[in-house]
Amino acid sequence: MASSEIPYGTLDLMVLKTLDVLGSSHGYGIARRIEQIAEGALALNQGTIYPALLRLEQNGWISSEWGLSENNRRARFYTITRSGRKQLTTATENWTRTVSILERLLRSQP
Amino acid sequence: MTVLRVVWSRVLGLTGHRHRDDDLDAEIRTHLELLEAKYVRDGLSTAAARAAARREFGGVEQMKEAYRDDRGWRWLEDAQRDCRYTLRSLARARGFAAVVVITLGLGIGAATAVFSVVNAVVLRPLNTPGADRLVRSLVVNNGRKSVFSDANTLKVWQDLTRVFEDVSAHRLDSVSVIDTSEPEQLSVGRISEPFFRLFSARVIAGRVFTADEDRPNGPAVAILSHALWMRRFGGDSDVVGRTIALGRVPHLIVGIIDRDFDTEQFEPLPDVWVPLQTDPEHVDGGSIYQITARLQPGETHAAANAALAVEYAKFNSTRSASDQSRRSGAWIAEPLQTAMAGDAPSSLTLLLGAVAFLLLIACANVANLMLVRADVRRREMAIRAAIGAGPHRIVRQLLVEALMLSLMGGVVGLAFAVLATRLILRLAPGSNPFMLGALAVLPRIGDSGAAVSVDWRVLTFAMLVSLGTGLAFGLVPSRRFSRRLTLQASLVQTNAAGSYGRRMSAPAILVIAEVALAVVLVVGAALLIRTSIALREVNPGFASEQVLTMRMAVSGTGFDTRDGISDLTRAGVERVQAIPGVVRASTTCCMPLETVWQLPFVMTSRAGQGLTQLGSMRFHGFAGWTFVSPGYFDVFRIPILKGRDFTFADNAKAPGVVIINEAMARRYWPNGDPLNDRLLIGRGMRVAYDEEPVRQIIGIVGNVRDTGLRDEARPAMYVPVAQEPDGVTVVNVKLLPVVWIVRTATPPYALGGQIKKALESSPGRLPVTRIRALTDVVSESTARTRFNTSLMTAFGFCALALAAIGVYGLVAYWVQQRSREIGVRLALGAEPASVAMTVVRQGMRLVAVGVGIGTIAALGLVQLIRSLLFGVPPRDPTVFISIPLLLGLVALGAVSVPAWRASRIDPLKTLRSE
Repeated sequence: MASSEIPYGTLDLMVLKTLDVLGSSHGYGIARRIEQIAEGALALNQGTIYPALLRLEQNGWISSEWGLSENNRRARFYTITRSGRKQLTTATENWTRTVSILERLLRSQP
Repeated sequence: MTVLRVVWSRVLGLTGHRHRDDDLDAEIRTHLELLEAKYVRDGLSTAAARAAARREFGGVEQMKEAYRDDRGWRWLEDAQRDCRYTLRSLARARGFAAVVVITLGLGIGAATAVFSVVNAVVLRPLNTPGADRLVRSLVVNNGRKSVFSDANTLKVWQDLTRVFEDVSAHRLDSVSVIDTSEPEQLSVGRISEPFFRLFSARVIAGRVFTADEDRPNGPAVAILSHALWMRRFGGDSDVVGRTIALGRVPHLIVGIIDRDFDTEQFEPLPDVWVPLQTDPEHVDGGSIYQITARLQPGETHAAANAALAVEYAKFNSTRSASDQSRRSGAWIAEPLQTAMAGDAPSSLTLLLGAVAFLLLIACANVANLMLVRADVRRREMAIRAAIGAGPHRIVRQLLVEALMLSLMGGVVGLAFAVLATRLILRLAPGSNPFMLGALAVLPRIGDSGAAVSVDWRVLTFAMLVSLGTGLAFGLVPSRRFSRRLTLQASLVQTNAAGSYGRRMSAPAILVIAEVALAVVLVVGAALLIRTSIALREVNPGFASEQVLTMRMAVSGTGFDTRDGISDLTRAGVERVQAIPGVVRASTTCCMPLETVWQLPFVMTSRAGQGLTQLGSMRFHGFAGWTFVSPGYFDVFRIPILKGRDFTFADNAKAPGVVIINEAMARRYWPNGDPLNDRLLIGRGMRVAYDEEPVRQIIGIVGNVRDTGLRDEARPAMYVPVAQEPDGVTVVNVKLLPVVWIVRTATPPYALGGQIKKALESSPGRLPVTRIRALTDVVSESTARTRFNTSLMTAFGFCALALAAIGVYGLVAYWVQQRSREIGVRLALGAEPASVAMTVVRQGMRLVAVGVGIGTIAALGLVQLIRSLLFGVPPRDPTVFISIPLLLGLVALGAVSVPAWRASRIDPLKTLRSE
C-alpha cells in the first residue's frame, strides 16, 4: 500500500480535529490516532506534530499542561480551546470548499 | 489578538532557552518510549523496537531545529547572539570601549542636559487646562516690546468680545505685614475678577473674588496662597472670615487657593491675592498691568491679531502726525505658552547649536576609533567571511557593536546629563521679583531648577540621539567591509605599510571635520568672552563698589505718601549714618539697571512749540524719571557737573526742583543753559500728575547707563521724593518697594545686619528684604551674557579636547601602522628628528585644512550670534587670528607625542615583531 506525504498545511487541521475528538491527549496519542484513522495511508513522521502543536498553542487554539503518561513519564497533555473549536469549524469549511473546487477543476473536460 | 499572542509567546521563547529545551527533550523522550513499547507489544526485540520507534518519529534534531525556529524569532535570536558576541569582544578591548563610551557619554550627556532645560523652559506645557488657547497682550512702542499694558489697552481687549473671553489683568505688588510680632514682606498678586476663572483656580476653602469685589474702591478682601496659609496660619481652616492686615489695612480673608495653583504669570508666586479694582471707565494711560485672555472657541491667534491691528489703527488716529512712535507701534496677542519662555529660546538655541557641534565632534572621534578598530580586525573579519559568514552578517555584527556602544554611551550620557543639568541651572540666576515684567535667564525652571526633570521627552531624546549616533558611526566602517573581503587579500594587507603619499582616507576627513567644528565653537566662545570683558569694563556712570542696597515695602502703611516717605527716609538715614563704617545713606524709587520709569515733559521756555500730542498728553519728549532723597548722587558717586544737589530743604513747601543728566542737557538745550529753564513733568499721563509743580532745573549730573550696560545713557530726570504728589507716590511704592542705598567704608555685606536692624527699628518698623551689594546688582544685569559665555566656554573646551584627542589618535595610528617602515628608515640611517618632522608635517597638514575650513565657516556663522555680542565686532581680528593659532598649537601638541615616539622606534624590535 502506497502511503502519501501529508499535504502542506493540513497537519494542523488534523491535530485540531483529533484533539476535538479525543478531548485531551499527549503528542504520542495524537500521532497514533491520526495514523489509525489513516489506516496506513499516511507517512507521518511523528516528530513533525510537535512544531504543529507549538504553532497551534501560539495561536491560542490549544492549551497544554504537564501530566503523567501511561508509562509514568512526564508528558504534555494538549486540549482544544474554545477559539480552537471555532478555528476548526472555519478550517473545515475552507477545506471542504477547497476540495470540492479542486474536484470539479480536476474532473472538468478539456 | 492572535498576532499579539504569537508575538508574546515568541518573545517568551527568547528567554529561558535551556528550560524550554529540557521540556521539549522530556516530551520527545516520553513519545519515543511509548512508541518503543508499542513495537515491543507488537513482538519486536528491544533493540529492533527502539530503531523502529526512531524511524517512525523522524529526525529528532531537525524537528528540534524547526521547533526552535518557530518558538522565537530567528533574527532576534541571532541579534541576541550578536550582542553576546559583541560584549565578549568589547570585554577584550576594554580600553577602546571605555574611550568610545566616555566620548559618546560626553556628547550625548551635554546634548541631553541642554535638551532637558529646553524641555522645561520651552516644551513643557503650562499647568492650566486648555493653555493652548490662552494669550497675553504685548505692546510694542518705538520698537520696544513690553508686557505691560495700560487701561486703554485693557478696554480694547475687553471690548473685543468676538475674539477674547475672560480678559483679565494682573500685576505683582509688594506689601509689608506689620501687625504681628514677625513683620514680613509679602508678594501680592493683584488680579481682576476673571483671572481665577481663566486659569481654572480651585479653592481649598471659601471662594474666589466676585465681580462686585473687583470694582474701584471695592472692599478690602484677600485670598491666601496655600504657602502663606500654612506659614502664618498653620493651615487653620477657620481662617476664612478673619482678617489679615496688608500694610495697615485689614483685609477680609474670603478664600484659600489650592497648593498646585501656578499660572506662571507671577515670579515669585504671590503670597496673597487681592482684587485689582481698576476703573475701566477711567482710561488715562496711567495704570500698568499685564493682560491675559482666552481665545473665543473657533478663533485663532491670527484673527485676534487682525482685530487688534484694526483697533490700533483707530487708536493711532488720536495721535499727532509728528509722533514717531506711530509707525513702530502695535498691539499683539501672544500665545501664552510661547510667551512664558521669554528671551530664553535665544540662549537655548545658541546652546543647542553648540551642543550639536560637540556631539558631531564626539561622533567623528568615535567613527575614527571604529575605523581604526575595523582595520585592526580585518584579519578576524576575513576569517569569519571565509568560514561562511555572509557580508550581511558581518555588517550586522558591526552595526550591533556600534549600537551597543552608543547605547552604553547613552546610559553614561544620561547620568552625565543629570550632573550637567544641575551645573547649567546653577549658572542661571533666578528672577528678580522687583524687575517689572522681566523673566529670569531661564524662566519656568522652578525653585532651584525643580521643574527640570528627566521626563519621557528627555528620555526619548537621549535614546534617539544615542541610536542616531550609533547608526552614524556604525555605518562608516561597515561600508568598508561590504566591499569584497577575501581572506588572502586581508591577510596580506594586515601588515602592509601605508606609503607617505596615500590619498585622503576617511579618518583624515573626519579629523579635518572635527578640527573645523572645534574652531567654530571656540571662536563663538571667544567672542562671548570678549563680550563679557567689554561689559565688565563699561562704566555705568556710578561707583558700584561699597554700596549696599535693600528693599522696604511701604504700601498701605501710612508711609506711602509724600510726607510719610520723607519722614521715613530722614529717620532711617539718621540711624543708618550713625553706624560706624557707613559713609552716607539715601533712598530712591528705582534701582538702576532694574527699573526706569519714563515720563513725558514740557520745557516751559518753549511751552507753545514743537509739542507732540498723544491722547490727552502733550509733550516735548520722554525722559527717564527717578525720585530720590538727598544724598542719592553722593552714595552712587554720580558727579554733579553743574548747579547743585538736592537738600532736605527741597520739600513740599519749597519751589519745585529737578536735576537732569548730561544726555538730556545736550539733547534739549544744545546751545542754551538748562539751568535757566523749567520742566512740567507727566502732565496728562494720569490725574495724579496734575498736581506736579513746575520744576526749576537746578543741576546737571553725569550720565548713568540705567537701562542696561549695553545701552547708551538716555535723557533722565531726578526729582526729590519730598516734592512728589501723593497720588504718584502711592501708586509707585505699591508696584515697587522703596530702595535703600548705603555707601560704606568697609566691604558692604559686613554691615548688612546692622543696617537692617537699624532700619527695622526705625519708626514704622518695616521689614527690609533683598539685601544686595550694588556690584551684585550690576553683575546680575549681565547674567544672561555670563550664562551664555560660561556654557559656550565649557563646550569650547570640550570641543578642543575632543579634537586634540582625535588628531592624536589618528597620527598615533599612522605611526603604529608604519612602525616597520619607519624602523627600516631609521636602520638605514634616517635622522630621528627628520622622521619626527615628517610625522608632524603630515599631521599638521590635516589640522591646517581643518582650521582653514573652520575659520571660513566661523566667519559666516558669527552673524548668527551678532545680537549677543557687545563691544566686539563679530569678525573681530584678534579672535580670528588667535583662535586658529590656539587650535594649531593644541593640535601641534597632540601631534608631537606620536611624532616623538616615531623617532624613538627601535628598528630591531619592530622588525623582529613581524
